Amino acid sequence: MSLNPEQKELGRRNFMRALAGTPALAALGTAALTKGPVKGGPVRLGYVGLGGQGRVLLEQTDPRYAQVVALCDINPLHLQKAAESLKKAALAPVPHYSDWKEMIQKEKLEGVVLAVPLFLHADLAVACMEAGLHVLCEKMMAWDPQGCRRMLEASQKTGKVLEIGHQRYYNPIYQAAYDGIVKTGTLGELYHARLVWHRNGNWRRKDDLPSPDFDPKKWGYPSFDHLINWRLYKQYSRGHMAELASHMVAITNWFFGAEAEAAVGSGGVYRYKDGREVPDHSYATIEYPGGRTAVYTSIESNAFDHYYEAYYGTKGTLILRGEVEAYLFSEGEADAKPTTVEVAPKSAGAASQASESRSADAAGSAKGVGTGTGGGVDRLAAYRYEVQGFCSAVRTGAPVKCGPKAAMASARACIAGFEAIDKKQRQVLGA
Amino acid sequence: MGNSGISRGQEAALVVLRTLIGWHFLYEGFVKLWWPSWTRAGAPLGRWSAAGYLRASSGPFADAFRRLADVSWMPWLDVLMTWSLILVGLGLILGLFTQLACAGALALLALFYLSFLPTHGVIEPGAEGSYLFVNKNLLEAAAVAVLLLFRTGRIAGLDLLLARPRVAQATPAAEAAR
Repeated sequence: MSLNPEQKELGRRNFMRALAGTPALAALGTAALTKGPVKGGPVRLGYVGLGGQGRVLLEQTDPRYAQVVALCDINPLHLQKAAESLKKAALAPVPHYSDWKEMIQKEKLEGVVLAVPLFLHADLAVACMEAGLHVLCEKMMAWDPQGCRRMLEASQKTGKVLEIGHQRYYNPIYQAAYDGIVKTGTLGELYHARLVWHRNGNWRRKDDLPSPDFDPKKWGYPSFDHLINWRLYKQYSRGHMAELASHMVAITNWFFGAEAEAAVGSGGVYRYKDGREVPDHSYATIEYPGGRTAVYTSIESNAFDHYYEAYYGTKGTLILRGEVEAYLFSEGEADAKPTTVEVAPKSAGAASQASESRSADAAGSAKGVGTGTGGGVDRLAAYRYEVQGFCSAVRTGAPVKCGPKAAMASARACIAGFEAIDKKQRQVLGA
Repeated sequence: MGNSGISRGQEAALVVLRTLIGWHFLYEGFVKLWWPSWTRAGAPLGRWSAAGYLRASSGPFADAFRRLADVSWMPWLDVLMTWSLILVGLGLILGLFTQLACAGALALLALFYLSFLPTHGVIEPGAEGSYLFVNKNLLEAAAVAVLLLFRTGRIAGLDLLLARPRVAQATPAAEAAR
């Protein structure tokens, strides 16, 4: 067909007039992609490991953010308790599994929440990410630096969200302390942190066999004691440094804005000589660039100090105690007084629930002593925000607060601390 | 002067007005179709239903609208509302079945207006201004009425493509009539 220039112009105009408004139509797609909502319902999650910590995460799962699709644990009693938790929350019962591989094959999941013994973190998290699932994995990241590295690389390779469960990142007290005090320079130059987690009780647990024919060997544990007390044995655990210190070191990395360079340590099994392999008294000094040092102590013979992180700056001191109290003192102030840190309101009954980290706190004489402000904070709310944050990241791509890089940095410091205590030798963290 | 007897500028203004109103309808429908969804900031928005809107109804017809919120066929009403908004929006933007789209827009806006008829004249929760009888629904309806009267599908839009063969056939007759 041959058209003269006038015809072409006329045809062009007619076409443009006929399509008046289509730029707006094209913009619809763009607007929806850039500013509009993201399509999707609650994130479909499976839970692997439903001991105390796994159940805390399950019970703090907000149904607006996540749908509990399936539960998995090798211990039927844990599954039973988890089912009761769902019933209490008026949620529908879900299928139970003892094999996580079967669960992720059979169920249509988007993500998993892993609360299994430390030595399993890397294998499970990597396999789940490679199976196309997002992962919220309990702290500490992994048993060894190689495991951490594998998890980080799997996350990068698959593009799946990997969050490590250091819930303090989501605790309003820590957020307020960082934004309002640390970041603003209120503490002045910061050289020293003291990290304390003192308990007066035996970390060893007692539990009934789920059934007379329950065989822990089927799952790679030589005895039922190894299964329920995996924290006490080196092949599965890194003791206090993984289960307690890692939370505090993660926050210290955040507040210092740095990663540890070396660790020295001391400690051993001094009180409970019951066959355990990890220390019941741990003392570690974590060294950071610029002369900054965090000193961590964890004992199982006195709970007067309870647990806290204290940051000592040239202009002030910040103390965060028990995850629910915050204190700020000006350096050199004649009559130093606690200062309020505004945080979220209290939810009734939360503090009565135990987590894995707190199971030996019972004998603490310091309970209820706190006179500072912030004592009314719901400690468990941080777990709720953490699961919410994970789901938001899955659905919208928003960044998680404790991704694999941050978690790996604190895990490496804690593993070095454990090794330093174990070998009585200074450990230098390589690049 | 354009084909419609008004200036090019006036024609363009009408088409722009139609496109903007079309966008308003289309996006309102599109967002409802997109449910359940999340905000970009990461908060779940849940599932949309007209029931919430109807239950919050105010004004002299509020009771009737509130009763509607509890009917068993509300899910169908939700679908109907969503697609009505989308189709009206597309019709206005593309200039396709423009008169029908304008009539649909008027009907929907009348429903919205009557369900929240502003008789108080004071700031109400969720409103961004104070209205007495005249609110933004009524103003948008008035604008749609203008579009309806000016038959903007004849100025620009896919209606032109549909109408063209008839225009082509009519032209020789018109010439002969001269």
